[in-house]
Amino acid sequence: MESNMNNAASQPATGMANVRFGVYNQPSNIGGKSVKDAREQFSKLWGIPNDAVAYKGKDKLDENYVIQPGDNVEFHRRAGEKG
Amino acid sequence: MTDTKRFVLVGAGGIGTWLAAGLVRLLEWKYPGSALIIVDGDNYEPKNKERQDFTKIGNKAVVKAHELTPQFTNTMIIPIPKWVVADDFSGVTDEDSPKITASQLITEGDIVFAVVDNFAARKIIFDAASKLQNIDVFTGGNDDELFGSIYHYQKRDGIEVTEHPVNFHPEYDNPPDKNPGELSCQERSEIEGGTQLLATNMAVASFILGRVHKTIVHNQNPEETEIYFDLGLGKSEPYDRRVTTVNEYITV
Repeated sequence: MESNMNNAASQPATGMANVRFGVYNQPSNIGGKSVKDAREQFSKLWGIPNDAVAYKGKDKLDENYVIQPGDNVEFHRRAGEKG
Repeated sequence: MTDTKRFVLVGAGGIGTWLAAGLVRLLEWKYPGSALIIVDGDNYEPKNKERQDFTKIGNKAVVKAHELTPQFTNTMIIPIPKWVVADDFSGVTDEDSPKITASQLITEGDIVFAVVDNFAARKIIFDAASKLQNIDVFTGGNDDELFGSIYHYQKRDGIEVTEHPVNFHPEYDNPPDKNPGELSCQERSEIEGGTQLLATNMAVASFILGRVHKTIVHNQNPEETEIYFDLGLGKSEPYDRRVTTVNEYITV
């Protein structure tokens, strides 16, 4: 199952949500912000590459998706390739 | 009656040589009479010594099996000196090098370790595994320097216990690289190995062995389905990719 979630038109609700990228995992007050905003906020801290895809569960998130309180947003980096 | 296993190790390189050392010991003492099948079409070269554990130059599967066999007499160690390719041989440009299809290699109940150096081969292995009713596939890899990750795909009685990695990793759907088994010798020789580190290769092997210990030896749930680690930061992070958990999460 794969879908691009975009709820930009819905009412933004502020509050805590969880952001994950690789070894990083942090609750943050990003409810009501877009994925794009969250990416900008955490990319400098964690080195999230521009091509990292945002997911909620198995659903790909559009950059305009408004993060809801309680959401678990994961920026997926490419898995380790070499062996 | 002793429980026996069939471990299929695909890739006997930077991760695979260290993983083989752990897997054969696990089989020898926990599951005597089991089989360790080592699959690799590539050869050890002197330059591999920096990160890979071997004593002779030659085909990786054959050399590794010959090294382990005299040491572990309760385990049948079978080398398959071939490249793993898709069932339809798609993408294969070299007809000469020895090949085996993933479906010929993997059978019901196998525990597969896909520690190759490209996503194209991983995709082929996962595609074949996902058609079986009961299977475990552990994969892992590292990027340059000190970052790495592992993933455990499990099916029982035809039902996926953990999600197929393609649901979280587009690189498994559209691999950005080539399967060496599809390439000519010349093309294979031109593939860059990157700047991998021994510590990261060994860490991937250790994380996989840890998951095997929990989910196979102790038959516990594969809650820590995917694990990222960064040896530079001294951190690791588990992700729960069990099907039930992911579906429950989505409906909340």
